[in-house]
Amino acid sequence: AAMAPGKKITARLKRTLPVKGPQAPTLSELMRWYCLNTNTHGCRRIVVSRGRLRRFLWILLTLSAVGLILWQCAELLMNYYSASVSVTVQFQKLPFPAVTICNINPYKYSSMKDYLSELDKETKKALETFYGFSEGKSKVRRSVDEWNSSGSDFFTQIPLLKFEDFSKTATDLRSGQKRKIEGSVFHKDSSIVNSGDSNDIIGFQLCDANNSSECALYTFSSGVNAIQEWYKLHYMNIMAQIPLETKEKLSYSADDLLLTCFFDGLSCDKRHFTRFHHPLHGNCYTFNSGESGTILSTSTGGSEYGLQVVLYIDEADYNPFLVTSTGAKIIVHDQDEYPFIEDIGTEIETAAATSIGMHFTRSRKLSKPYSDCTETGADIPVENLYNKSYSLQICLHSCFQKAMVDSCGCAQYAQPLPAGAEYCNYKKNPNWMYCYYRLHEKFVKEQLGCQQICKDACSFKEWALTTSIAQWPSAVSEDWMLRVLSWDKGQKINKKLNKTDLANLMVFYKDLNERFISENPANTLVILLSNFGGQLGLWMSCSVVCVIEIVEVFFIDSLSIVMRRQWQKAKKWWNGRKRDRSGKPPQAGDLERQGHDNPVCIDEDLPTFNTALRLPLPQDSPLPRTPPPNYSTLRLEAAFTEQLPDTLEVGQ
Amino acid sequence: GESVKMGKMPEGEKTRQCKQEEQQQKDEQQEGLIEFYSSYQELFQFFCSNTTIHGAIRLVCSKKNKMKTAFWSVLFFLTFGLMYWQFGILYREYFSYPVNLNLNLNSDRLTFPAVTLCTLNPYRYSAIRKKLDELDQITHQTLLDLYDYNMSLARSDWSTLSMRKRSSRSLLHHVRRHPLRRQKRDNLVNLPENSPSVDKNDWKIGFVLCSENNKDCFHQAYSSGVDAVREWYSFHYINILAQMPDAKALDESDFENFIYACRFNEATCDKANYTHFHHPLYGNCYTFNDNSSSLWTSSLPGISNGLSLVVRTEQNDFIPLLSTVTGARVMVHDQNEPAFMDDGGFNVRPGIETSISMRKEMTVRLGGSYSDCTEDGSDVPVQNLYSSRYTEQVCIRSCFQLNMVERCGCAYYFYPLPAGAEYCDYTKHVAWGYCYYKLLAEFKADVLGCFHKCRKPCKMTQYQLSAGYSRWPSAVSEDWVFYMLSQQNKYNITSKRNGVAKVNIFFEEWNYKTNGESPAFTVVTLLSQLGNQWSLWFGSSVLSVMELAELILDFIAITFILALRWFRSRQQLSPPGPPPSSHDNTAFQDEVPGLSAPHRFTVEAVVTMLPSYNSLEPRGLSRDGEVG
Repeated sequence: AAMAPGKKITARLKRTLPVKGPQAPTLSELMRWYCLNTNTHGCRRIVVSRGRLRRFLWILLTLSAVGLILWQCAELLMNYYSASVSVTVQFQKLPFPAVTICNINPYKYSSMKDYLSELDKETKKALETFYGFSEGKSKVRRSVDEWNSSGSDFFTQIPLLKFEDFSKTATDLRSGQKRKIEGSVFHKDSSIVNSGDSNDIIGFQLCDANNSSECALYTFSSGVNAIQEWYKLHYMNIMAQIPLETKEKLSYSADDLLLTCFFDGLSCDKRHFTRFHHPLHGNCYTFNSGESGTILSTSTGGSEYGLQVVLYIDEADYNPFLVTSTGAKIIVHDQDEYPFIEDIGTEIETAAATSIGMHFTRSRKLSKPYSDCTETGADIPVENLYNKSYSLQICLHSCFQKAMVDSCGCAQYAQPLPAGAEYCNYKKNPNWMYCYYRLHEKFVKEQLGCQQICKDACSFKEWALTTSIAQWPSAVSEDWMLRVLSWDKGQKINKKLNKTDLANLMVFYKDLNERFISENPANTLVILLSNFGGQLGLWMSCSVVCVIEIVEVFFIDSLSIVMRRQWQKAKKWWNGRKRDRSGKPPQAGDLERQGHDNPVCIDEDLPTFNTALRLPLPQDSPLPRTPPPNYSTLRLEAAFTEQLPDTLEVGQ
Repeated sequence: GESVKMGKMPEGEKTRQCKQEEQQQKDEQQEGLIEFYSSYQELFQFFCSNTTIHGAIRLVCSKKNKMKTAFWSVLFFLTFGLMYWQFGILYREYFSYPVNLNLNLNSDRLTFPAVTLCTLNPYRYSAIRKKLDELDQITHQTLLDLYDYNMSLARSDWSTLSMRKRSSRSLLHHVRRHPLRRQKRDNLVNLPENSPSVDKNDWKIGFVLCSENNKDCFHQAYSSGVDAVREWYSFHYINILAQMPDAKALDESDFENFIYACRFNEATCDKANYTHFHHPLYGNCYTFNDNSSSLWTSSLPGISNGLSLVVRTEQNDFIPLLSTVTGARVMVHDQNEPAFMDDGGFNVRPGIETSISMRKEMTVRLGGSYSDCTEDGSDVPVQNLYSSRYTEQVCIRSCFQLNMVERCGCAYYFYPLPAGAEYCDYTKHVAWGYCYYKLLAEFKADVLGCFHKCRKPCKMTQYQLSAGYSRWPSAVSEDWVFYMLSQQNKYNITSKRNGVAKVNIFFEEWNYKTNGESPAFTVVTLLSQLGNQWSLWFGSSVLSVMELAELILDFIAITFILALRWFRSRQQLSPPGPPPSSHDNTAFQDEVPGLSAPHRFTVEAVVTMLPSYNSLEPRGLSRDGEVG
């Protein structure tokens, strides 16, 4: 007969690579066969041992070995993602970090007069009213009405208040009821420390413009703090209205700030510095910012080879209310890091030489799954508002600024502006301050979710600073040094410099050792596998092949046996029903076809070599034996015919 | 018997065996609870054919070939040796307890540490003020005698001079016992006083402390007169303080007069946020954020989210001998740790704003056998005299104090008082100074073993501080700031800038480092490694060992049974009676029938007849031999 070539091939395949069914017809026999033939230890003993107790003990031992393997392997898996740390110290030519220097006072007070005159007037009045302080030593208490008339709308909207008692009204223009709102009253009256002789408490309150009963009350035990905070609040509003270019002009120029500069034994000037405008600190100057494309490096450690600058701090031109301390602030950071100078800057004293020794440490963590850190910040759902590389601080600030724009409609002054937003000022957003303080409170209490979203950066650089201070200039050198420096600066200032207007700063590497802390995976796949192998071998002398064997026997074969049982049962039941209904005996042909159609039966039921072996031997045994039972003879036949045993059974 | 042997059996045999097993399953009910082999040979045969230890099977089963046996024996012992060599290496590695260093960067909310601020201005208790004045007088006299320096004791009450002479001769007497004197550098000669003409380089200044009977004396000498006078003064100061009644009731804790303004995280500090104690040398000390109920947490790093204090730094010491520095002393420490101001303090300069930035670093060591550290100090053989948590410093000081009480009979004033002891005071303990300085020398040389006994705590928190300074208040804001302070805090403007200082303490980073340790070689890895070795050399497992154990137990059992049988047979032989049959033998009756029947004979044999076992047995054995 002409067979299709495809069929021919499948037929040949079937012939040459026959698919055999399970090794035994029943489950218990399958198990016995498995135990006798497997290479896994323990199982064999269950079968060959004599005595029930012995057998039971062996079952127990085998099961406990399996349990131990599973437990230990689970431990291995759980500890797979652990890391170990290696610390390397290497000596090399280190790139010099960027050094950002700011004057503590952001803008020249003299040039800010136009913007701040009104605010200053208010502040002075407040000082006079509350404390009887006046610069002209004439402690004339002005009337409250006078203040009211002269002040601008916004100052009176958020005035300084003096509370005699919390239950009573405040001694000021406003005498409304102060409702304490839970969570927004920062300073509880019962626990004021610094009350002094009187129980005066100074503060201000921020109210929701739409709902004036919603107020947040800010009180300060110290008048100094109260005045400063209040001043700052209004100052930020004023500054928010001034465009950036103007602000840059109002602040210090590089010539103003830097008198001399020396780096690595060579002279440097303002071209080595990059201007960077900080909202709270005005113009800051970054040395070695890398903007020109080259990053300077030091050849030797020690103060001689670092950065040496003399800063001109014009103390007389300071804003008396905004800042109360004199000096400069510096921060050492990486070139592509944003300098958070207001948070972590180091202050530099005037009339002193400050030496800052640096020690460089670079750390690197393994990212997921070893730890929850981010390489570039690209996977963080927070837009980076700073055009610098990712850091946790940047993320937090960006997250807060975004929340601020979303809920208050404008951006906070101290942080960069997101696209399409503008800085808050109470001319446009009269409600922003209340909104801001509520939002900030939420942020602190981690209700904004910023702390959850933002992750650590995986690699970071760190310059550990050691500061030491010496008096500078010394008594004997003071004279000539001040004269020379003022001559250098002479074109602009005609007066002689005062030593409290100068600060000498040295930033240098203490040593050129770079400490590199890196995490490495403690486990590799090879180690994990060999440990697995060890566990399997230790308890049961098992291997991957054994595992496959187990899967084959316990899952595939057992399942097929069970399936076949069920199929037979179902078939029997079906036949019985059919017979009952039709009353005529079932035809063998029907059944046969049914059996072949059954995908489970077709391949599985072929007798295997092993089942054949299970069959009784031909009667050549030398010992007398009982006659074999009937079914054995039938099964003997079945072993060599191609028929299914179940069909046979039924066919009989 | 036809014991089961699956290794390489002819097919027929295997089939029969399968058959037999089927039968055996049916006979499960007949199977005894525990069955033993009837002879050693059978036992070994069974073991040899069923064991899973590679090599062993070869060793036993190739007994026919002497050469092979020898070869396999050598191989067996060689692999055995190699395996145990490897085991040794593994055990050595495990018991050296190696650790992995872990670096964690945690970024959860930072709990602000406790901050202790001291005035550097020892306050004088009214109870002993008179005596201290007297001491000042004596010091004055001494300085005049030794250095020809006339100290102005302006504030001292000269009017009580006569009264002092009457009331407390004892102090003078005691002070005279330990006078400051000069001595030649090499030989300790008492000098006549008033001899400033001598070249001062040749002289050392110091005082002598003698034991009770004045037999042994201890020369406490200093090269610098400043040190000597300070040390001498504080020695007497301690003595006077120790005479004070136990209740160190303070007349006032002038918090408001010391701390002018206090803010944390943009909020005013509460009164509840600080605790107060008095340090005899550093004066009034205030610890912020020490109570565990409501600790401050920093939401963000930076100055504005930290602690900011304005403090008064005016000196009003009577004789500035206890503290020669002006300012205030700050210390950052963990909660529930005592503030050891001399160990980790930070001085604050007057007229300056000091910004102290902190970096938190935690070190967690693995305890137990991994490193020599202690979890809570309960296993350290030194009683903790402080009411705080265990730290190394607490332990060392407690250790010293306990030794002091033991050796000198009294307690050192600066350390806490152990139960039942009292503070040293030379009116009661005449020679305590001598004892103390001797003990101190021993302590420093670690003869007392304090440094040895006190172990590091497993969990340590360190704060790395670095400071920046700026002038405060600035020239332009000076006026109004001082005015406000004078209004609110009654600050007298006389000393201006030198009378106040500002301190900011804040976190520099939002995250903190944790240096942890984890065991590099755990039990799990050890077992894995052992298993690896075992599998490599023997291909055996724990279950194989159990097989061996079973073999040994069986061996013992059979020996016992055989011995019993032999003994019985001897007993029954000696009196003339019926010849012993296997059926009569109790041992056989108990054990053999149940077990051997299905095993040693084919099923067919059971079905057909039951011959006497003994007659069949040799046959079965010989068959086995053939198979082997």
